[in-house]
Amino acid sequence: MSDHKIESVKQKQNRHKAMEAISVINTMKDEFKNPLSSMDSFYKLYEDVYCKQKSLHDETTKVGTMCIQIPSEIIYALDAVPIRLCNGFYTDDEIGSDMLPQKACPLVKATVGHFASGNFSDKPDFIYSPTTCDQKTKAGSTIESFGYEVVDVDFPRMKESEISREYFRRSIKDFSAHLSKQMSKKLTKKKLKESISKIGYAQSLYHKLCEYRKDASVAISGNDMFFITNAFFFDKLDDWIDKTKAVLSELEQRSQDQVSVASKVSPRIVYTGSPPIFPNFKIPMLIEQSDALIVADETCSSNRMFNDRVAVDEWFVGDMLNSLADKYLKACTCPIFTKNDDRIRRIIDLYKTYSADGVIYQAFAGCSVYELEQRSVLGAMEKEGIPILYLESDYSPSQGGQLSTRVEAFVESLKMKKRKKA
Amino acid sequence: MTFAGIDIGSTAIKISIVDENKQLLGHKISASGTMFYKYAHDTLKSLMDEIGIKKDDIAYTVATGYGRKIFKEADENISEITANAIGARAAAREHGVINTIINIGGQDSKAISLDEEGHVVNFAMNDRCAAGTGKFLDACAMNLEIGVDELGGRHFQSTGTPLSINSTCAVFAESEIIGLLGNEHSVPDIVCGVHYSIAKRIVKLVKRVGVKEGIYFDGGPALNEGLVNAIENELSKKIFIPQYPQITTSYGAAIIGVDSYVYASMS
Repeated sequence: MSDHKIESVKQKQNRHKAMEAISVINTMKDEFKNPLSSMDSFYKLYEDVYCKQKSLHDETTKVGTMCIQIPSEIIYALDAVPIRLCNGFYTDDEIGSDMLPQKACPLVKATVGHFASGNFSDKPDFIYSPTTCDQKTKAGSTIESFGYEVVDVDFPRMKESEISREYFRRSIKDFSAHLSKQMSKKLTKKKLKESISKIGYAQSLYHKLCEYRKDASVAISGNDMFFITNAFFFDKLDDWIDKTKAVLSELEQRSQDQVSVASKVSPRIVYTGSPPIFPNFKIPMLIEQSDALIVADETCSSNRMFNDRVAVDEWFVGDMLNSLADKYLKACTCPIFTKNDDRIRRIIDLYKTYSADGVIYQAFAGCSVYELEQRSVLGAMEKEGIPILYLESDYSPSQGGQLSTRVEAFVESLKMKKRKKA
Repeated sequence: MTFAGIDIGSTAIKISIVDENKQLLGHKISASGTMFYKYAHDTLKSLMDEIGIKKDDIAYTVATGYGRKIFKEADENISEITANAIGARAAAREHGVINTIINIGGQDSKAISLDEEGHVVNFAMNDRCAAGTGKFLDACAMNLEIGVDELGGRHFQSTGTPLSINSTCAVFAESEIIGLLGNEHSVPDIVCGVHYSIAKRIVKLVKRVGVKEGIYFDGGPALNEGLVNAIENELSKKIFIPQYPQITTSYGAAIIGVDSYVYASMS
């Protein structure tokens, strides 16, 4: 009889997650041409956190957020760190499946599963959940049943109305007062201004990265961009800035040397829909493994997080909070809103600005809002003459075959069109 | 008086001979090769020589396994699932009560759930596919250019994260392994990943029949300690490996032979 020790449940979950993580990291390192050496520090970060369960924030208070609508600026201003809890692990999805309906969204199931396992490298001290989609809204109470406190943050479903604006401004003030009380710290004008400009600086770096993606010869892959933007969920802000700057300087060199990660015939793709969250880069990987290149995206794990800056009129705390609320509401293109023409405009804009050849729209099976918005987005793209592929996927690792055929056929059709044009 | 159990599998022929007290007198394993029938006879003959018995000393013969119907001289033939259940209970009698059996054969894998009496209540088998079978291990070892018996040792040399093999198909998994090797990943990490991919599939089968205490693992791959550890980790339970994991089913068949013989002489 073997006398080898059996893993504890926690060790087993960690191993499962490490195995998921390492295979994505290895694919990035091994499979693509002209890998950026400056990306190694990002890969290492993911390996440290997800394969070695390294804690990044030790003693700092960690504020978990369930969606992007909780302003990180306020959290940083109170000397805490925001940790975005949206989860991309199939391991956690499977755990969450026991607690939520079969048809629930894998991202929500994985997030709930993560709490059920309680297996965090950086465990959040406080959890704030904006009332965005139905499933996230309801997930809060399930998470509470595991012994956490989840504070709901009011979020409106109508973007255009003035009532919504007022409503969310009040909600953000409430959130800020609540966190400030939890932290026993006053939100000061100086600190908030500093954090707004620091996040603004991080956003500017993102925009600089994106500039290189507009070039005819693109120096960075879409998947690497997802690695960078996803790291913003949990990395130390200063470290993230340093790593991103290193990538930028390599991109600048590449731009001069005309080094591209794709071939000239590779179709340029705008990616939209349910967010790719590490390690669920299944669809972005398939796209770039099929010789296409993601040049831009419209997702909440990337573009939507960085695209719009906070516009402050007066640098008083109240005004800053209002500006933050406006930015996190008005600029948001999440499909939870009643009408969402902004999202369509954003996709078309990205398509044009980044000289794209087509759009790929992913919806998680069970992510009803993205599934619902499929019709309007597909209709709008058709009207504009923009080729679009709609895909439904989940977190399971074994779906590759069926999806890759569709992606490849779409990419080939774009190549044909490109050739015809030329 | 002796009784023979002949298990003709897709990959190997296993023969056990027991006495009237169901005590194992001897066993022999040989490759099935291309001529099941001939090899089964040859193997039986050499086992009889080893133990020092003649054809007439065998009172009853039970054939089992995928090729059982080929062995026409058998007094009885019985499915490998029943034989496995009987064999496992008997082989583990000093260890404790077996309630679940994991069997990984050359070309199939199964989980069998037993009731208190030791009867089969439920079983699950892999779908028509070699993923998660001994063949899969063979193919992996071949790609890695190591012997299949070295896999266990390599498993415990892994220091990194086990590298997932995502393809469920043995053929595609081969190309994944070749890809990993091409990118100079460590062999132990790959071996570890292979074992976990088999373990996960097996554990799914076990969950279908229900995970109970008293788990027995047999078939050739049970000799692979790395795989054993992977399955234990995936199940979060210790599993029992018999002294001769390959012959459980033929041993069970021989025991059935004793019972059938006694029953026949009673009536």
